[in-house]
Order: sequence, then structure tokens, then C-alpha cells
Amino acid sequence: MSRLIDLDELGRFAAGARAFATGAGDSPYHLALDWARSVAGKGVELVTAGELRPQTLCVAVSLAGSTTALGEHLPRGDEPERVVHALERRLGERIGAVVALNLAAENALVPLITAALLRVPLVDGDGSGRVFPLVEQTTYALGGMSPAPLALAGGSGELILLETEAGRVEELLRPVVLAVGGWAVVACYPMAAADLVRVLVPGTVSLLIRAGTPGTPRTAAAPFGVQRLCRGLILSVEGSTGHDAEVSLPSQPSSIVLREPDGMRRLVRLEAHNEIVLALADGAVVATVPDQICMIGTADGMVVDVDEARPGLEVDIMVVKAAPVWHTACGLALGGPRAFGIAL
Amino acid sequence: MTGVRAPGWEAPVTVTELVNAGTLAGARMYGAGENPVRGVRIVDELSVLGTVAPHTAVVLIGTAASGGWAVEMAMRRAWEQAAACVIAPSGGLSESSGEVLAERLGITLIFVDEDPLLVAVRVASAASRPDAARMQLVARCATRLVEAGTSARRVLGVLNAELPGTSVAFLDRHGVLLAGRRDAAAGGRPEGEAGESVPGWSAQAEVPDQEGGVLGTLVAGGSSRSPGWPSVVRTVLSLAVAPLTAWAARERLRACRDFARQAALAERLLADAAAPEADLAPATGAAGTASATPASAAAVPSAAAPSAASSAAASSGAASAGEEAGPVRMAAVALGWPVRGPLTAYQVRPASGAGDAALAQTLITAALGQVPVTVRGEGWAGWSALDPAELAGRLERCLPTMPWPCSAGVGAQVPGLEAAGESLTGAEAAAAMADPGTVARADEMGPAELLGALPSRALRAPATVILRPLLTIDRDGTLLETLAAVLDEGGALKAAERLGVHRNTVTTRLDRIKTAGFDLDDPATRLALQLACHVMLR
Repeated sequence: MSRLIDLDELGRFAAGARAFATGAGDSPYHLALDWARSVAGKGVELVTAGELRPQTLCVAVSLAGSTTALGEHLPRGDEPERVVHALERRLGERIGAVVALNLAAENALVPLITAALLRVPLVDGDGSGRVFPLVEQTTYALGGMSPAPLALAGGSGELILLETEAGRVEELLRPVVLAVGGWAVVACYPMAAADLVRVLVPGTVSLLIRAGTPGTPRTAAAPFGVQRLCRGLILSVEGSTGHDAEVSLPSQPSSIVLREPDGMRRLVRLEAHNEIVLALADGAVVATVPDQICMIGTADGMVVDVDEARPGLEVDIMVVKAAPVWHTACGLALGGPRAFGIAL
Repeated sequence: MTGVRAPGWEAPVTVTELVNAGTLAGARMYGAGENPVRGVRIVDELSVLGTVAPHTAVVLIGTAASGGWAVEMAMRRAWEQAAACVIAPSGGLSESSGEVLAERLGITLIFVDEDPLLVAVRVASAASRPDAARMQLVARCATRLVEAGTSARRVLGVLNAELPGTSVAFLDRHGVLLAGRRDAAAGGRPEGEAGESVPGWSAQAEVPDQEGGVLGTLVAGGSSRSPGWPSVVRTVLSLAVAPLTAWAARERLRACRDFARQAALAERLLADAAAPEADLAPATGAAGTASATPASAAAVPSAAAPSAASSAAASSGAASAGEEAGPVRMAAVALGWPVRGPLTAYQVRPASGAGDAALAQTLITAALGQVPVTVRGEGWAGWSALDPAELAGRLERCLPTMPWPCSAGVGAQVPGLEAAGESLTGAEAAAAMADPGTVARADEMGPAELLGALPSRALRAPATVILRPLLTIDRDGTLLETLAAVLDEGGALKAAERLGVHRNTVTTRLDRIKTAGFDLDDPATRLALQLACHVMLR
């Protein structure tokens, strides 16, 4: 039962996608939203994976790299089309639907823009249920799908096709993204709708549209539940050590030390490596990846990024439950603490 | 070997002791550190912590020490296992958050700069041989005390530095702080009151004075609950007793030496001043006198011109005598002594032998101001710029402060230092004459006072010789008594009245005295006999 995401719903979708998204600067977010509004026309068709014919070729589209770079180095506007057409040429087949890799802020809007430009439906769901830093950290990968062949389009007209074994995609992708200017639109995980049904975290697009409706509590944006861990006052932000050097992530490990201002007055430590990986309260583990740990500023209700954390800031620490598949042995291996270099 | 030590040396070392006693010297400790350490476990990954036994010192290495998060998790798990403490290499965890967590969990966290594996070996050794670890501390303290020498302040500095977590103070016998930390003095309780269950303990050691009394007390206290620690501290305190005794002796010596020096200076001043005028520089003349000694010229009335001139000559002579006299006069001035103008001598005389000169000096200068104090005759003498009446008043207030019964005398006022000798003599005589606790003035002395001041003890022997012919025949002493009465009263009649006998009796006795060979008509013989009687009958 397909439906249209109109401009009004687009706004709500964008707001919902921001509820727990980290790394979302104002300027790239508004840029992506304006871009989506300019191409949405009468609306974008939203379908469930099951509504598609089983053999329909679906492709995941996302933004790769730094959103800050996107805000400074503007897209030409043809990146989504070029990247999908490149993949189509490689596969010798037209795609029938676009799906999101994850639904965090701009990453939610880029697939919608792609669907609008190509006039194909957007699948209601994503490959994460939350956001992970690596292209390989998806439920699609957990379900046995390969991110390659992967096409990448840069803002200056670059077009790159990556074909490699599944485990090396991130390694090859990162320097290329840097080389094309810090951000790129990627099309990856080409798969039949029948497979997508199996590996998708379903219904997350419509969930975020509902969550973005004004007056809806933030918790509505968490498909598998959310828990407020505690409130904390940031005491210090330190560089961190002790992370497994074998694990290569785009950013350096850091550590945020907080103190509960009241109640138990616990000493809370958020260990971050690209995202918050581990939360300790008085030395005891209270949350880890694959659940998503995020800081929401108590002053403005906005998500506080790891690199925005500064002493004196008061935040609520929220834990967004990951999809059940992330808590399986395979899921933990791909998105658990060890995947982020923390040997508990 | 253990027999010589007090009980407690075999008790397991506590975490605090590891840090305080040198095993972990230089380490930063957060938390109370009161737990005993019975063993060591090296932990390289967090999962090992589940098998750590209680009272174990957990030494973190490898991934378990690799970052703040790992150390915090290790602290949590060590706490769950009732470990004694967590020892982590510095740098893994910021010390402020480590401190907060140590306080919250009540587990002791120690940051070390050295290789944790070396630390682990030393802790293991201390845990297995607590007495050896404690002996090591005592040995180190002994070495440091030797280096500190005989300074009370340095000795206390060593004690407070080498016994961290412990405050040590040195108190005099009245409990007044001499050196060290005031909190030890305030918090220190008498030994024995601090039981094992009471947080806080104290240890003491007495420092003897030269007579074997108590010069002062070393008091140590702290909050450590280690059963072995007070005993170790007590041992270290006893090591400090000898250097402190040496310190006290040296200070006494210095005070005595100072007295001797200032006394020598006073004698030198007097000697210079009394030097014959012929020895003084002849060329100074009237102009030199006027310009060199305006103070003495102004202070001495012109009517006393000769003495003023001689005073001035003495002053200028001393000044022009060059390098020799100059420093003496300079030193006297620096000491605040009166060296010019009219002055009055004094003498303080203890009734029973000389006491501590340094103490006498202190007490006399406290009453009279900056004056020289020298040993003279049987007492202490010097001079002051005060007039005799004021000086006598000051001495009256001074005498009760002396620890021995003393008398004092004040000489006549003289125009200058060169005449101080005669004033000193008068003061000495007056002091000898005065009863203990009183002050006599030489310028108020009459004949009776002079007789009273006769040194009867010294004269008794010659008097006995002179009177021997008489004493030989005088069986019951009546002849001596009669002779004294006749000489004192000036005739036989009055003597008979005084003795209550008939005049003829006196005449008869006088005849017997004359037969003994005494010519009572010779004035010299009469004077000698009268003095002899006075001495013999007093």
C-alpha cells in the first residue's frame, strides 16, 4: 500500500531524522532539506519492501564522509542520479527502488532526493535502525549482503566504482571520499527486493515521519525503545587510549567525563570512538554499542556531538535501543564494543 | 631478630604504609588506604579481575591499564572483589576522575610512575615480609636523621617528610610547640588512649635534659589504622631523641659562649676606659675633644670639667686607638650598652654560690635593659645609664625573677666609664651587705653598713691568729666579750653596764687581757682588735 511523502511530511521526516542523530550540523541539514524540497515535486512514493516485486533491484543510497564538508562544498545536484546510473551500467539492470543505509539527518534525506530524481519509490525502512559509522555496519551486511559493487559520486563530477570483497569496502572508500572533497553520495548494497525484505529494519521512515510531527515526544523516534540513562554535567573531555589499534575508524578515541548533578551523583564516563561506544557509571558498564548512546543538551534539547562536548555543559544521556538483530552474536561482532576496539 | 621489635611489626602492611614506607614512594594515593595487603595480582585484562582474592593489591598493566575507561572498570571490579587497592600506571586515567571514583567506591587507587611490574614485585615483597618493609623505613629515617644534624627544625622536617600521613611535633615540657606541625600537638593524645578501634593514634618519645629530666616531648599522630604503623613511628621517634639532645646541648653551649663573649667585651671596655691618660693619643687636644664627643660634653655639667675632660679623653682615646679599640666600642654600641656619660654600676649577688650566668644575664637585661653582665666577685655586675634610685628600683623588681635568692647593690653615680671601677666596687660592697631579696645603695651606706659588710668569713682566720693569746686563756669567752664591749663602748664603765657586771670586774678582766700581750693604748692595736672581735662575735 504505497503512499506519497508530500512536502509537509518531508519536513516532519527531516525533523524526526534529527531526533537522535549525531554529527548533524545546521547548515548541511538545511542544505539537504532544501535540496529535497526542490526536487520532491508532488511527493515521493513510499513503499514497504514487501510491496515490491521480489526481483525488483533495490539500492541503498547514502551520504559518505563529513556533513560539514557538504555544508561548505555544495553539491551540483546530479550526484544521486550519476551514482545510481553508474551502478545500473555496471549491473546491466535498472533499479526499481531506493532504500536508506541509515536514517540519521542528511542520510535520511539523500535517498529521498535520489528516489525523487529517479522517480522510483523509497522503501520504508533502513539498514541500521540507528546509525553506525561504517558502510559495512548494516543489517544488510548482517543478512549476508555485500556493499559492493559500490558507486560513489563527488561534488565536482567525480564518479568512482568500487568492486572488492565485502570487508575492504570501508578501507578503500575512506581515502577516496577524502580525495573528492570530504563527502560523496554512495550507492551500494544492490539487492533484490526479496532479499531486502529479509535484511531491512522495516517501517523506520514512516516512524520518523510520525516522530517529527510537532508535539510528539522524542522517544517516538526510537523504533526499539529509548532509555534515559542519567543527567550529567560534563567535567572534562579527554583524549582516550586503550582502544584496539587494529580497529580503524574515521575519528580518534576520546573520553567525556561527567558527574550526575544530583541523585546518586555518579561519575559517568562516555568513551567515544566516532560515536559513543561505552558508558560507565562509577566504573560499571551501563550501556554499550550496538545500542546508540547520545547526549541531548538540556538547554536546547539538541543532540550534542562528541566533538561539541565541552566542560560545563549539562546533558541528558539517552540510550536508543538497537534493532534485535544487532544483539545477536553476528550483530555484536559487527556493531558491538569489540568492533569499536573496546575489549570488555 | 623479631624479638627486639614491638608487637605489630608482623601485622600485614596496609596500603597507606606501602605508600608511606617507601615501597611505593612517590606514588599518588587516592582513598583511605586502610586495607591490609596480603598479596599481589598482576592484571592485564579486565576479565582476570573476576578471580582476584580479597585483600589483594591489583596491579594493572596492558589493556587493563590502557585507558581511563579500563582503569575505571578495573576499579569497579576490584571493589566488587574486595581488593585492597588498585595500582595503575599514571597517565591512563586523569587523576581527578580517579580521585572521585576512589572516593565514591571507597577503594584506594594508587598512581605510579615506574614500571608497574617492578612495583608489583616490591609490593609482593612487602606483603610477604611486612617486618622487613618496616625495618627499611626505619633505616632510611636513621640515615636522614644523621644528615639533618643537630638542628631541631631539620630533625622535625625529616620526621614529617619521611613519615607521611603522620604529623610530628616537638613540644617543651609545658606543651608549647618548639618545632614541627601544630596539628600533631593538637591532635596528639597520650599514648595508650588510642585503641585499634579508634580512628587516630599517637606516639611519643621524651627528650631528656642534662639533668635527666624532661626537656621536651616528641609527639606524633595520624589517622592511619594500620596496626603496625604506630609502633614503627615510635621507633623512628626514639631515633630522633639523640639528635635532639645534641641540639639542646649545643644551644646551651652557644648561650654560654655568648655570655662569655659579652662579658669579655665588658671587661675590655672597662680596661680601655681605665687606661692611663698618658697612653692616650696626645694630639687630640681640646678641638678633638669637642668634636669627637659632643654627647659627653653635653651630658656632663661644666662644673665637673676635669672629669668631663678625662671622660672625653678616654672616649676620644678609645676612638683614636684605631682598629683595636674601635671594634670593642662598636660592639658595645651595637649591643646597646651605655658607654658614655654618667653611669651607675650594679651587682647582683646570689646568696648561695654562682648560678647559671647565661640565665642571670637574660633576667638582668630583661629588668635593666641592654646592659653588660660580667662575673664579678660572687655575683654578676655591670653598669647602666640609669640613676642610682631608678636602677635600685629596677633591681628590686628583678630580684624576685631570679631562680636563686639574690641580693643586689647599686654603686654611686660616676661621670663616665673610666670611673666605673669605683662604682662597681661600691655596688659590690652594697650587694654583699644587703640581705637576700633586697637592694642596697652604696651612696646610702653608713659605718654600721660598712661593718656589716665586712667579709667576716675571710677575716675570721686572721682574727683568730691575732686573738690567739687571748683565746688561749679565755676559757668561757668572757674575756673576748669584755674586750669587745670595752672597745665598742669606749670605756670600762659603759662596758660594765652593757655586760651587766661591776666596773671592777671589767677592770680585772682588762688587766688579764693586757697580760696576754695586748697594748690597748696603741690606736692601731685597738682598731685591729675591735675588728677581730667584731668578726669573731658576729
